[in-house]
Amino acid sequence: MDSETAKQAAPVAPGIFTMPSHDAGLPALLGGYCSRCDRRFFPRPIYCPQCLGPVEERPIGSGGRIHVFTVVRIKPPLGLPQPYAVGYIDMKESGLRIFCLLDPLKVDRLEVGQEVALAVGVLGHDGKGNPRLRPYFTPVERKGGLEDVR
Amino acid sequence: MTSVYVSGVGMIPFGRHVERTVVDMAAEAACLALQDAGIRPERVEMGFFACAGAARLFGDVTMGQNVLWQVGINRIPVFNVENACTSGSAAFYLAHEAIAGNRIEAAIVVGAEKLYVPGMGLLDSGITELDTQLGLVAPASFALRANRHMLAFGTTPEQMAHVAVKNRAHAGHNPLAQFRDPITVEEVLNAPMIVDPLTRLQCCPIADGAAAVVLCSGSLAQNKDRRVKVDAAVYGTGNYENPQDISRWETDYRVCQKAYEEAGIGPGDLDVIECHDAFTIAEILHYEALGLCPEGEGGRLAADGTVCQGGKVPVNVSGGLLSRGHPPGATALAQIHEIVTQLRQEAGPRQVDGARIGLAHCMGGDKAGDTKSCTVIVLSSKE
Repeated sequence: MDSETAKQAAPVAPGIFTMPSHDAGLPALLGGYCSRCDRRFFPRPIYCPQCLGPVEERPIGSGGRIHVFTVVRIKPPLGLPQPYAVGYIDMKESGLRIFCLLDPLKVDRLEVGQEVALAVGVLGHDGKGNPRLRPYFTPVERKGGLEDVR
Repeated sequence: MTSVYVSGVGMIPFGRHVERTVVDMAAEAACLALQDAGIRPERVEMGFFACAGAARLFGDVTMGQNVLWQVGINRIPVFNVENACTSGSAAFYLAHEAIAGNRIEAAIVVGAEKLYVPGMGLLDSGITELDTQLGLVAPASFALRANRHMLAFGTTPEQMAHVAVKNRAHAGHNPLAQFRDPITVEEVLNAPMIVDPLTRLQCCPIADGAAAVVLCSGSLAQNKDRRVKVDAAVYGTGNYENPQDISRWETDYRVCQKAYEEAGIGPGDLDVIECHDAFTIAEILHYEALGLCPEGEGGRLAADGTVCQGGKVPVNVSGGLLSRGHPPGATALAQIHEIVTQLRQEAGPRQVDGARIGLAHCMGGDKAGDTKSCTVIVLSSKE
């Protein structure tokens, strides 16, 4: 990603992810938590649907596994790449099942059950041609794992 | 609760009506339904107009008043209903409630849509929704379910293709359907891939079209040979809990079960079904939600002849959305049009022998891994 473009692009929606404060960190999805009901949400609702109490903003994690995915091969909406992949991710920390984009550069290397990590980059536009930062999950490359044993 | 009857139906052929307006198409369907019911426009006490896309595509709003004025219906309450693919059946639900609750004796429900317009993209579930902004288009939502169902139950692309082949074969006998030429399993599987694993022939095409239904109380629906009784009209929305089971819609099961309870029947009593086959996998999931087979067995059912014309319980004998095309505002009313025609024994070469109890099932929109709406309407001609 062009870092200048990334600095200028606005998030696709406010308050849905955090960017790492330094190079070593990972971005995280930002959801909601109702402390009274001990329930987590993504995206954050205005009120807790169970108790109508306030829902505080809280990260819901950066990683998980692909529950299911598909590849959209026809002309994409919102300036997304062609083809692009989407799926449901089972989040490791929160247990939520999240719909999200998957890494468009790796559409032919995705597998159900695969471990993925959150990334944020300029992906598509807002419908009017203005570039937008979108969260997407990318497969975790295992270093020194079984895959490296030939 | 007062008994409610469908006393008239009307529909124009679905397809490309490039030269016609939404109001023009809707007025013709409304006029056909009024004539079929044999009712004077001034006897209609409440009007509903279903349309999902005109506000977005044409900037047109409150069109029901425009449509109904064309067919001599004015002064009465008119409601404009937008509910994605279930716009027509949600409007039918309201009309049914008003008559069943003894508020009025007659209502008309008209649905229309025009989708053959330049630049028409894929349907989505609302542009401000986060899922839409993250790339969720309607075919992707169904493809995810197909992939999950294949993983969980071993459902195959061939079984899904059988749904498209069957519905197209049925459409060969329906002059109101847009696509009527037969197709083969090989043609379905080899068609261009839209969203893995759904090929173009597994996705319902768009259409322009209109359909209308007149509902009456028993005292107004005097023609006992042609009136069709409403045994259940159920409408439910999603639960939006997290996590969702992506291989089914809990809402689908819940609404189907409630409709059976309201009608006092079970799946074994049905003679004919129209269901929301927006994509082949959807029809397979609806077999399971409707209890036509155990969960996971829908793929097998699609291929074994049970749901074909001449089988135990034919599904989508009109050709379904896959052959009619899908003008969302009109689709659910086209389904009711087909069931009413079948129960009147007036379906000609596609008549299901002796059909007495029929069901129209529709579903619309996505939210948080669930559907935004599901409707089931049970109709009967047993008396």
